[in-house]
Amino acid sequence: MQASSVEIRKVNKFYGPFHALKDVDLNILPGKVTCLIGPSGSGKSTLLRCINFLEEYDSGEIRIDGQMMGYDAPGRKMSGRKLREMRRSIGMVFQQFNLWPHMTARENVAEGLIRVRGMGKAEAHERASAALTKVGLADKMENHPLRLSGGQQQRVAIARAIAMEPRLMLFDEPTSALDPELVGEVLNVMKTLAAEGMTMVVVTHEMGFAAHVADQVAFMEKGELVGVDTPDRILHQPADPRIQSFLRTYHERNSF
Amino acid sequence: MDFSIFQQYGPALLKGFGNTILCWALGTVFGMALGLVIALIQRYAPKYIRWIVQAYIEVIRGTPFLVQLFVLYYGGPLIGLRLDALPAGLLGLTIYGSPYFAEIFRSGFRAVPHGQIEAARAIGMTELSIVRRILLPLGLVSSLPALINFSIILTKETVILSIITVPELMYQVNRMSTETFRFLEANLVLALFFWLLVETISRVGRRFEARITKHLIERT
Amino acid sequence: MFSFPVFLESFWPLIWAARYTLLISVLGIGLGLVIGALICAARLSPYAALRRFAAVWVSFLRGVPLLVQLLVFYYTLPVIGLDVPATVAAVVTVGICASAYISEIWRGAIAALPKGQSEAALAIGMTPRDVWTRVVLPQAVTLSLPALINELILLVKASSLVSVVGILEITRASQAQAATTFRPLEVYIAAACIYLAINLCLAALGRYLEHRTAV
Repeated sequence: MQASSVEIRKVNKFYGPFHALKDVDLNILPGKVTCLIGPSGSGKSTLLRCINFLEEYDSGEIRIDGQMMGYDAPGRKMSGRKLREMRRSIGMVFQQFNLWPHMTARENVAEGLIRVRGMGKAEAHERASAALTKVGLADKMENHPLRLSGGQQQRVAIARAIAMEPRLMLFDEPTSALDPELVGEVLNVMKTLAAEGMTMVVVTHEMGFAAHVADQVAFMEKGELVGVDTPDRILHQPADPRIQSFLRTYHERNSF
Repeated sequence: MDFSIFQQYGPALLKGFGNTILCWALGTVFGMALGLVIALIQRYAPKYIRWIVQAYIEVIRGTPFLVQLFVLYYGGPLIGLRLDALPAGLLGLTIYGSPYFAEIFRSGFRAVPHGQIEAARAIGMTELSIVRRILLPLGLVSSLPALINFSIILTKETVILSIITVPELMYQVNRMSTETFRFLEANLVLALFFWLLVETISRVGRRFEARITKHLIERT
Repeated sequence: MFSFPVFLESFWPLIWAARYTLLISVLGIGLGLVIGALICAARLSPYAALRRFAAVWVSFLRGVPLLVQLLVFYYTLPVIGLDVPATVAAVVTVGICASAYISEIWRGAIAALPKGQSEAALAIGMTPRDVWTRVVLPQAVTLSLPALINELILLVKASSLVSVVGILEITRASQAQAATTFRPLEVYIAAACIYLAINLCLAALGRYLEHRTAV
């Protein structure tokens, strides 16, 4: 598997007068896991969604393996075809799973292979089965999403993304909608992916995951990237008072 | 009261019933098709086209079906649109139903969670694929109850076609009652008939709905 | 071809006839509100027979086309010895028909209120009667206002059907005019414009109410 790198340079994003991303600079290294943390509304999900251009950034550059995402040149949007071409190698997992409820788990995974990769139905289903087996759902392939638990649904969503053989995976709070006892099974699948050398960008509130799996942790607040460093330096010996105060609140809320 | 006239007029009534079902079925299918096109235009077309379509919706929804039929059937010939009663009635029913169907589809589309469309975009599906594979199947299912409901309303609207002399059931019943002077019996039976028809269609509709939405209802 | 002067000339008599359209729709909805409230109460009552009656009432009136109801009613009156003007018969039919829809609107509005609200009222010791008059009804009435305006719009359009029993409202007046001027296109489009104007005003009122009640 080939792993992508992402360079984010001076990216800005506005919602009307609201400045959602302020001159964000970040390097996402190939084969490494980057966790984006910070309070809600800090812009971390927006930044993640800019990487595959589900959210359009207004200025700056996001380059994936050197190629600019979303624009041919500053201010000139790329064609839909080219955008789809680039998205093909980026997998995304959403907080709300976003599985298609009218298709079985296997059909959900095969859909992209058939429509986007132009694969035959039989081959696509075979690949879909393999991907579902990998996330531990070999026995749930014919179930419709609403007959699965949240954790199982999220694993189907991961299978849907990895079946496309992406070189980069984006996770948007993948465990925030799950009951606490289901978080572990999803994080385990993500750990396996990380161990295989996938480039991953993960927006998360799971500090434990960030501490143990991430290669670098980026802290965002109010649209600004406050700091990027190893998990240890960000989570255990943060220099910036904003990070300190965020972690203090986090610990207070999670101790009993 | 005397109901024996129904025997004598049986064949004419049966023919009228056939025309009622024909008008209803075709009017529903064409109206739905036009409504679907309108709903897709409203979702994807540029602004000024959407305005034109919106004006069409407001005009059709703001005026009585009967007046629309008069414009079409009696006014049409003045601008070269000469139609027999039956095709005029069919066209009228199609036009009349289309904005309501469009609104139903539009809210059905809105009921599809945006994230499910984003998920399709994120794996690089084309907009056309997304419409065909995600938006339409899910949107249609969530529109289903309202679609069934409105096609039931359309069965009742078909009687208005009798006023522009479309030879459907009510027209035949009217002819029968003016020839025999049995106005009350004729209309009473017609009322009971429609009651039965509408109740039957709603029951069948509910069963159909339950079957289609089987997978889409969350386990409790 | 479409003649603009003819179109403009046909407006005045039709606008004059619109008073009947408005009269029938407004009185119809008034009657419908009263009967609809009774039917809704019957549907929510503890007595099975009443509930059954109300359910049949609603299902019959919603299953039978208004035009057929109108004729049944119109022809029944003389049989039972009632000699009332066609206008009265029309208002009563429209009102009865509307009552079925209005009772469902109210039932829906009451069902839409969170159950916890009446529980909260009972919990602080309010009587069931107070719960209804102080908590449930005020909210249900406000909630149902936009739907009731919508029902009024439907009645304005449905009132065109009373033209078949000879009441000189907009549609009947336009038929008469079309017959004398031989310009049906212009006359009927003028009629459509008047209906549209009435209904757009009502729709605007409905949106205003919806906006005001959305807290």
